[in-house]
Amino acid sequence: MGRLLLLLVIVGGGVLQSTVVAVAGVGGVTPDVPLILTVLIALRHGPESGCLAGFVAGLLQDASGGGLLGVQALTKGLAGFGMGLLVGRFWVSNPLVQVPGLVLLSIAEGLARFLLLQMFHYPATLGELMLHVILPQALYNGLIGTLCILAEATIELVRRRAWR
Amino acid sequence: MRVRRYGILLAVLLVSLLLLTVQTRGGGTGRASELVTVAVTPVQGLLVRIHRSALDFWANYVEWKSVRRENTVLREENEHLRVQALQAGETREENVRLRRLLVLRDRLPLATVSGEVIGREAGGWVRSLTVNRGRGDGIAQQTPVIVPDGLVGRVVQVHRAAAVVQLLNDPASTVGAVVQRTRTAGLVEGDAGGTVRFKFMARDGASVTLGDLVVTSGLGTTFPKGLPVGRVVKVEDKGSALFHFAVLAPAVDFSRVEEVLLVTGQTTQDVAALFPPEG
Repeated sequence: MGRLLLLLVIVGGGVLQSTVVAVAGVGGVTPDVPLILTVLIALRHGPESGCLAGFVAGLLQDASGGGLLGVQALTKGLAGFGMGLLVGRFWVSNPLVQVPGLVLLSIAEGLARFLLLQMFHYPATLGELMLHVILPQALYNGLIGTLCILAEATIELVRRRAWR
Repeated sequence: MRVRRYGILLAVLLVSLLLLTVQTRGGGTGRASELVTVAVTPVQGLLVRIHRSALDFWANYVEWKSVRRENTVLREENEHLRVQALQAGETREENVRLRRLLVLRDRLPLATVSGEVIGREAGGWVRSLTVNRGRGDGIAQQTPVIVPDGLVGRVVQVHRAAAVVQLLNDPASTVGAVVQRTRTAGLVEGDAGGTVRFKFMARDGASVTLGDLVVTSGLGTTFPKGLPVGRVVKVEDKGSALFHFAVLAPAVDFSRVEEVLLVTGQTTQDVAALFPPEG
């Protein structure tokens, strides 16, 4: 995938997050599409691309959401880098590893964001956030990630059959 | 390879921390934020239009299908009418919403600018809307945002052609308010769970009951007096504490807000009576 296409995917994910995804929440919980895309990019292109993709995706979310500019850029950049480092060390090509990995990384990203926001006197408590935001969103991310991975596998299968 | 890898990580860390430092030291990230928004706002607007024209797309699809099935004229007519009814319903609802907004705008003794919602952030960390009005339309930070049901929130970021509105149920939102019936003063705050609480009510003589309407107090310069905020659905009484708090059902259903009024003028008049009794 070319760099321009990667950038388009990330920008598209950010726009999707603030328009279509924002009204498609279940019980007030929405998936974090830019984080899912960051993880998928990191798994396929390594820590450098994952880190940059996470940074750009986070920056877009910070700018469109009205929060502090740089918080999500930092946490998503770290998440992309961390996930990219796992490639080659664990069996991350297996969906059974990718999906729980995405859920755990979503929780870790939420915790990192909370810790960072503590420096800026963020008013909510960790318990509240964990219950209402971080855990539900991590599970939702896992579900959407599963669908993405299944869709990708199906496309790959169809492509291979077409080559025969 | 290794140097490049950690170099990128270091660069990302430095840029992010620099942005955060600049903001907390009172500097502006206005230009950087502006650039990102300028690129994203038109696409957001486009996506919202695509979202809203989904019904039209469905109608066209049904019509196309009907042409192919000339022998089933009755079914075609039936489907056609159904779609028309759907479209008419959607248009009627939009019409009603806009009419209510217009009535409110005419009633209020305040200068207002109407705007359309083009983006939402409802993840829980931040609860905000993006509207298609910005600096070019005379919008400034702290501009109150209302609908005929009541207060939506306030503008926290202004760009050239868009503004980010912090919703009442955002965890960082705080609004001075009073109970309309008893004039008991307190603060309305959002929380991470999405509920809105009316806090710091003096216990002494408060006598707040379920169903009481809470409106903006008008103290300070941000919000006009009397904007409906919500109704009391639960009163938490902690025994001997000096203050107690109430849980509110917001006057506005934030997930369904599509058109808003941005209040650019100021008044000292109590505007509560100008809002329809039940939204």
